Amino acid sequence: MRSLYLYAGWVRLWHWLNALLFLILILSGASMHYAGTPWLLDFETAVTLHNTTGILLTLSWIGFVAGNLLTDNGRHYRIRFRGLLDRLFEQSRYYAFGIFQDAPHPFHVSAEMKLNTLQQLSYLGVMYLLMPLLLLSGWSFLFSVYLPETLFGVGTVWIVAMTHLTTSYLLVLFLLVHLYIITTGETVLTNLRAMVTGWHRERGEPQ
Amino acid sequence: MRLFQARSRISRHALPWVVACALSFASSLPASPLLDSDRPEYPPDTTELDSQARDCLRCHAMETLAYRDPETGEILDLAVDPRLLSHSVHGEMACTECHRRSYRRYPHPEQAGRETFSCVGCHEDDPEDATYQFLSIEEEYARSVHVAPGASEAEDFSCHSCHDPHVFRVSRVGKEIGQVVRDDNRVCMSCHRELTDPLDTTHAWLPKRDAHWASVRCLECHTPPSDRAERVSHQILPAEDSARDCVGCHSSDARLLNRLYHYRSQEDLARKGLIAKALFNEAYVVGMSRNPTLDALSLLVIGLTLLGLTAHGVGRYLTYRRRTNRQ
Ligand code: HEC
Ligand code: HEC
Ligand code: HEC
Ligand code: HEC
Ligand code: HEC
Ligand code: HEC
Ligand code: HEC
Repeated sequence: MRSLYLYAGWVRLWHWLNALLFLILILSGASMHYAGTPWLLDFETAVTLHNTTGILLTLSWIGFVAGNLLTDNGRHYRIRFRGLLDRLFEQSRYYAFGIFQDAPHPFHVSAEMKLNTLQQLSYLGVMYLLMPLLLLSGWSFLFSVYLPETLFGVGTVWIVAMTHLTTSYLLVLFLLVHLYIITTGETVLTNLRAMVTGWHRERGEPQ
Repeated sequence: MRLFQARSRISRHALPWVVACALSFASSLPASPLLDSDRPEYPPDTTELDSQARDCLRCHAMETLAYRDPETGEILDLAVDPRLLSHSVHGEMACTECHRRSYRRYPHPEQAGRETFSCVGCHEDDPEDATYQFLSIEEEYARSVHVAPGASEAEDFSCHSCHDPHVFRVSRVGKEIGQVVRDDNRVCMSCHRELTDPLDTTHAWLPKRDAHWASVRCLECHTPPSDRAERVSHQILPAEDSARDCVGCHSSDARLLNRLYHYRSQEDLARKGLIAKALFNEAYVVGMSRNPTLDALSLLVIGLTLLGLTAHGVGRYLTYRRRTNRQ
C-alpha cells in the first residue's frame, strides 16, 4: 500500500465549497434561463440565490488563486512542455483503449505532480480561462446599469449574456466529465476518497 | 363623464400676466431620468396649425405666460407649446372648437360659468370601427384606482390629469419602444414623484428598479393583462392587485409585455435570431431572450456527452466482469 498526502486541508475545503456553489448556481441559473418551466425554483428566489452564490464563488476563486500563489500547491499547475504531446496522446489512448484492458495507468501520482497532463490542461483551462470569463460576465450582469449601451455596435448586455451562457454551458460539460473521470482511479472510489481525506492510497511499494 | 373644473378666473386688472416664476417653478423639479423633459425635438414648423390657432399662439406660445390664482395661490400655466401642439392629435383643430369663441377677442371678456371639456363628449359618436373606443376606455377609467369609489382625490381627476389636450399624441406601431416607455411613464411620474425618492420602498422587491422603469411601462404591471395586444388598458389597479409576477415577463411567453412590444415595427418583428436582435440593441430580458437553437445545441452536446460517458462506464464494467470471470 502506497499512501501520499496530496490534498491539503484548504484545498479540500475549497474543493467541496466550490462544488456546492456550482450545484446551486446551475440550479438557480437554469431556473432563470428556463423560467416558467415546472420543477425549477421560483424566479424571484432564483435571482437572489444566484447573485449571492455568484459573489461567494468569486471569493472562493480568489481564495484558490491566492492559495496557489502562497502555498506549493501551485506547482501542480506548472506545465512541463517537454513531451507534452506524447503524454497527452498516451493519456487519451489509455482512456480510449487501455482502460478496458486493465492496462497500467500511464501516469503515476506523486507528491510533485498529482495531476495527469490531460487533467492539468483542463483544470488550467477551467480555473484560469472559463472561470474568469464566467465571473467577469456575472459581475457585469450585476452592474449592467453602469455599462455602455452598446459595444462594437452590439447591445452590451447581449455580449455579457452570451458570454455568461456559453461559459456556463461549458462548465456544466466540464462538471459531467469531471464527475466521471474521478471514477477511473485504481478503484472507482480511490480519487473521491483522496479528496475527502487528503490521502491518496494505492497498491504498490511505498516510496 | 367627468367635467373639467375650470379654475376661477381673476379680474384682469390684477393680472401680472407674465409671471417669470413659471420658469423657476419648472426648473425646481427634482432631477430624475424619469422626470427629465426630454420631450421630442421638433423643428419649429407650425404650418399645419389652424390659422386661428396661430393667432392665439402669438401670445400663448410665450413660455412664461402664466398667472397666480389669488384664491388657491397656484400658478396657472397658460403657455401652449406650438411644436407639441402641431404634432398632437388635435394639432389641426381651431382653439375655439374646444374653447369659448369669445376668446377670440383680447382682452378676453370676463365670463361667468366654467368651461367644460370632455374627451368622451366629443368622441363618443366615433364610428364602431374607430381606432380608439372611447366608451370602453371610459368604462375602464371609471374602475381605475384613481376614481373608483373611495379614492381620495377622485374629484380632481379627469382624462386631462394624464392627457394634456394640447400635447397628447398616441404611440403608434414603429415608435421606438424606449420612447413609448419614457413618454407613458412620465405621465404617471408627473404625480407619483414620491416613488423616485431613494428611500421609497414600494418597489424594493423589484431588483434594478430603475432599469425596469426604463424598459417597461408602469401600465404593464398596474393594469389587468388583456388578450388584445394592441389595447392600453385604462383600469389602473390598486397596489394589492398589481402584477408582481416576474415570469409574466421573464419567460418565453412574456404575456405582460405583449402590449408594449406590439409597437414594434414590421422590420423589428421580421428580425429573427439572437445576433440580429443584439445588433439592433433590443433589451436582453433574462428568461425571455432565449434562442431555441443555441439552447437545443448546448443541451444536445451535454446529452451526447452523458451518453458517451455512460457507454464508457458500461464498457469498463463489462470488460472488468469478463476479466474477473476468466480468472
Ligand atoms: C394678446 C395676447 C393674447 C391673445 C391673442 C390670446 N390670448 Fe388668451 N390669454 C392671454 C392672457 C394675458 C391670458 C391671461 C388671463 C386673461 O387675461 O384672461 C389669457 C388667458 C387665456 C385662457 C385661460 C383663461 C383662464 O384663466 O383659465 C384661455 C383658455 C385663452 N386665453 C384662450 C385663448 C384663445 C383660444 C385665443 C385665440 C382665439 C387667445 N387666448 C388669444 C393673452 C392672449
Ligand atoms: C381638443 C380641445 C382643445 C383644443 C383644440 C385647445 N384646447 Fe386649450 N384647453 C383644453 C382643455 C381640456 C384645457 C384644460 C386643461 C387642463 O385641465 O389642464 C385647456 C386649457 C387651456 C388654457 C388654460 C390653461 C389652464 O390650465 O387652464 C389655455 C391658455 C389654452 N387651453 C389655450 C389654447 C389655445 C391657445 C389653443 C389653440 C392653439 C387651444 N387651447 C386649443 C382643450 C383644448
Ligand atoms: C371639442 C371636441 C374634442 C375634444 C374635447 C377632444 N377631442 Fe380628440 N379629436 C377631436 C377631433 C375633431 C379629432 C380629429 C382631429 C383630426 O383628424 O385632425 C380628434 C382626434 C383625436 C384622436 C386621434 C384619433 C385617430 O383616430 O387618430 C385622439 C386619440 C383623440 N382625439 C383623443 C382625445 C382625448 C384623449 C381627449 C381628451 C383629453 C380629446 N381627444 C378631446 C375632437 C375632440
Ligand atoms: C392615469 C393616467 C390616464 C388617465 C386618467 C387617462 N389616460 Fe388615456 N392613456 C394613458 C396612457 C399612459 C396612454 C398611452 C399613451 C400612448 O403611449 O399612446 C393612454 C392612451 C389613451 C388613448 C390611446 C389608446 C391606445 O390604445 O393607444 C386614448 C384614446 C385615451 N388614452 C383616452 C383617454 C380618455 C378618454 C380618458 C378619460 C376617460 C383617459 N384616457 C384617461 C393614461 C391615462
Ligand atoms: C394627476 C395625478 C396622478 C397621475 C397622473 C397618476 N396618479 Fe396614480 N394616484 C394619484 C393619487 C392622488 C393616488 C391616491 C389615490 C387614493 O389612494 O385615493 C394614486 C394612486 C395610485 C395607485 C394606487 C396606490 C394604492 O395605494 O393602491 C396606483 C397603483 C397608481 N396610482 C398608479 C398610477 C399609474 C400607473 C399612473 C400612470 C398611468 C398614475 N398612477 C398616474 C395621482 C396620480
Ligand atoms: C414589475 C411590475 C411593476 C412596475 C413596472 C411598476 N409597478 Fe408599481 N407596484 C407594483 C406592485 C406589485 C405594487 C404593490 C407593492 C406592494 O403592495 O408591496 C406596486 C405599488 C405601486 C404603488 C402603490 C404604492 C403604495 O403606496 O402602496 C404606486 C403608486 C405605484 N406602484 C406606481 C408605479 C409607477 C408610477 C410605476 C412606473 C414608473 C410603477 N408603479 C411600475 C408593480 C409594478
Ligand atoms: C413587466 C415586465 C417585467 C416584470 C414583471 C419583471 N421584469 Fe425584470 N426585466 C424586464 C425587462 C424588460 C428587463 C431588461 C431591462 C434592460 O436591461 O433594459 C428586465 C431585467 C431584469 C434584471 C436585470 C438583468 C439585466 O439585464 O441587468 C433582473 C435581475 C430582473 N429583471 C429581475 C426581475 C425580478 C426578480 C422580477 C420579479 C420580482 C422581475 N424582474 C419582473 C421586465 C420585467
